[in-house]
Parts: sequence; C-alpha cells; structure tokens
Amino acid sequence: MEANDTVQTGPVSPLVLQIVAPGDIVLDLAKAGKVVRLGGGLRQDGDSVVVTRAGRLRHMQANNKYWVEGSQKRYVPNVEDGVIGVVVDRRFESYSLDIGAPTYAILPILAFEGATRRNAPNLQPGAAVYARVVKAHRDVQPELSCMDVSNKSSGFGSLKNGYVFECSTGLARSLLSKPMCPVLEALGKRFSYEIAVGLNGRVWVNAQEPSTIVAVSNGILASEFLTPAQQHIMVAKVIERMQ
Amino acid sequence: MINLEMSEQARVDGRTANQLRPTLCSRSLLERAHGSARWQQDNTIIMAAVYGPKPVSGKKEDPERATLEVLWKTKSGIAGNADKEAEVTIRRTLEYIVLSSMHPNTGISIILQVVNDDGAILACAINAACAALVDAGIPLTGLIVAVSVGVTTHGVVVVDPTKVEEKNFRAHVCLVFPNRPKCTVAGLPAPVGGEPAEHGIITCVTRGAMSVDEYMNCLERGRAASVKIAKFTRTSLEHCQRSYEIMS
Repeated sequence: MEANDTVQTGPVSPLVLQIVAPGDIVLDLAKAGKVVRLGGGLRQDGDSVVVTRAGRLRHMQANNKYWVEGSQKRYVPNVEDGVIGVVVDRRFESYSLDIGAPTYAILPILAFEGATRRNAPNLQPGAAVYARVVKAHRDVQPELSCMDVSNKSSGFGSLKNGYVFECSTGLARSLLSKPMCPVLEALGKRFSYEIAVGLNGRVWVNAQEPSTIVAVSNGILASEFLTPAQQHIMVAKVIERMQ
Repeated sequence: MINLEMSEQARVDGRTANQLRPTLCSRSLLERAHGSARWQQDNTIIMAAVYGPKPVSGKKEDPERATLEVLWKTKSGIAGNADKEAEVTIRRTLEYIVLSSMHPNTGISIILQVVNDDGAILACAINAACAALVDAGIPLTGLIVAVSVGVTTHGVVVVDPTKVEEKNFRAHVCLVFPNRPKCTVAGLPAPVGGEPAEHGIITCVTRGAMSVDEYMNCLERGRAASVKIAKFTRTSLEHCQRSYEIMS
C-alpha cells in the first residue's frame, strides 16, 4: 500500500526543505504524480512549478502538497486561516474588518453561532474579532466567518478586553506551532493569560492584571529572533523584573 | 611593456578592471515598511522600502493588475530630471519581474533613498529594490541583477565604476540581467534563440558614446560580473531567511 502511494505521488522535489527564491523551478508536473497541491508562494507555469516568494520549501507527503514558508509583514488571505480583525464599519448585513490584507474583509452578521436576524451580536467599530477566512480570491473582498465548518463557534468570535499587537506572519506561525512554542510555555509557567494568535500577524493577549498583559506581549515580541534556550533566559529576566 | 599594461589596468582605488567593490546587503531594517533592504557597494549606499500591496483609489486603481510606484529620494536638494528618469527606468525594470496580476486593484510603492552616491547608483538602486521586494513577499517571476560597466578614454572596459571614474570615462552603462534560478527540471529555463535565458538583457541605460565592439565587450564583462552579484544575492537571502527560523 505504501509503495503504491509513492508511485502515485511521484518523486519529491529535491529542493524540499531548502531555501528557495522567486523564479526557482521546483517541480516538473509531468513527473510529479496525479495530484499535486500548491500552497502559498508557488505558481504553475506550463508544465513546471515556479516559486514566487522567498522562503523554505515544504512538502506534505500525505496529500502531496507543496508550499513556501517565509515571514512577511503584509498578510495575504488564505482559506481556513484563523485571523484577528478589527471592525472598521458596520453595514446592513455585514461588518467590514481590517485584517491587515490589501482590502478590508467582510464578516456577515449571520456568520456567528446561533445568530438570527433578530439576535445577532452587536459589534462596534474598533472591536477585535477572531475569525476564520472562508473565501479568499484576489478579485473580491475576503470573507470571514465566526463559525467552524459544523456551524459551531469553537473559539471564534469577539475578543473582549485584552490587548492586540502586530507581529510578522512568521512569528505568528511559530506561536501556533506544535509542540508548543518555548516562549509561550515558559510564560505560562509563571503567568495565567489568554491568547489568540491570528495568522495575519496579530496577537491578542488578556489577563487579570494589566502588568501581566504587558509582560506577556513584550516577551512574545522579543522572542522572534531567539533560540529556544535564549527564550527561556529572556522570559526568566522578564519575570525577575516583574518582582 | 608589462608595466604599461598594469598602469592602464590599475584603477584609482587599486582594483583590477573586472573587480567589483565590496558589496553588502541587509534586509528588514525598517520597522514600519512591509519590506526593506539596504544595498551597499563600498561608498554607494541605497536604502529601499516597499509598502504594499495596499489599497489605492482613483486613477491608480487597475482592476487587472497592481500598480507600481517608484519614488526616488535624493540625498539632498530637490528631485531633478535625472531623478525622474531613474524612477521611470526602475519602475519599468521592476514591472518585468513583479507578478502584478496576483493583486489586482492594489498598489505597491517602492521608495529609494540615496544614502550616498559614489557611482553605479542606478545599478545599486535596482539591486536594492529587488531585495526589498523579496523581503516584502511581493510575488515575483524571478530575481534580477544589475551591474554598471564603464569604458575609459583608452577604450578599456571596467566594471562597477566609482563616481570619479564615471566622470572621467568616455561612457558607462547600467545593465540588468535575469538571475539564474535553481532548477530541478532539465532544459528549463528554456533558452531563447540558442542563448541561455540569463543572458537576456532586461534594462540597458548608457551614458556617453561607445562603439559596437565596446558595447559587446561591456555586455560580456557585465554578464561575468552579474554572476558574482547573483551568487551574493542568494547567499544574503539565505542568511536572512535563516535568522527568521532560529525559533523553530
């Protein structure tokens, strides 16, 4: 069965896990098997797959998917990304949200769990919302939803209180990685806080004490270019300064 | 005889004719820009910042593609005709590599600040702009390499002239070539007219007069030098990418 799978997916690109630059040709589609899925940073040019963004080439064997992983300051919406948006406008049937993308995103008023025409959450401009991207196409505004595929809220929704700050998309991705990112683990040992990380490079932090919020946000922002060991030392210093 | 040849080849700063100045490139220096790069060729320094893709309105909005905007900031004084020309040259060069159809109805701004001008400023600016676009994650079809080549009054071709050299030379030219990509597919990138794709010229700006033979000589030297810059661009990019990944 396994041997059969490898025949189906074809040989993996030799550039996988290497750093690629725009213009690099990573794959010959004629030899790459029946189904190849292309994620961010790649484009099909005739029979070959070409890189459009710099980063590290990744490959998932299970569904033969290729994508380029890099760090940017500007977010480009992708379907199924969890993002944090700020309400900028309320219209009759939807909210306009700033998610850091080239255009504002739309969040329909009925895209909340259990929302009806009579009973929909009332968000004011400036409110932070954790939502899921359901439609992302370059020609239309991205569309968000505060429900998962089975129409449950599952953590999405308005973020009350707390503090939102911006970081690079690379840092946001590593905060969401499994096993848990060392800085969050180290901070969690000392502080109790709530956190929501949007793949658009926005992080929401809430805690009982404002000082905890400040310490956690500063700790996360300072961790971007540190190794796991350095992160533990940095967090220890933050805690020391708090006392 | 040998001495005479040597004296003809030796340059003001002691370089040989084919020697580039020490090149430095640092990326992501600016906090607020979406992408930035500082490109330095000894005393010629350019700082490039990229903003976008961002919403634009009015005349600039194009439903088919993203509009590119290049702003050239001089070191001091107000922008003259030469600066305007540089803006247009760089915009047309970058339009060749930016996949503008990926972000319709948006705009991309590229701001180039001259920190210091010691010759080969246009080539330096194009290299800086390309590095900043990569840093911002703007979708590109490939990378480009710019190199400046000069022709002395004796007809000797030298690469990467300084400001003093440019003034004394008969002519100098800024050449932009495509960067040779990493490739896993045999026969690609497809050669054009029997020549490899990286031999193509994207942009060529000449100042002064030179013969056809001299121009062809410039092209050859420029190509040879561009390979070195291309290699450097890649090393600098990989170095920058690694610093992002220390965490995981």
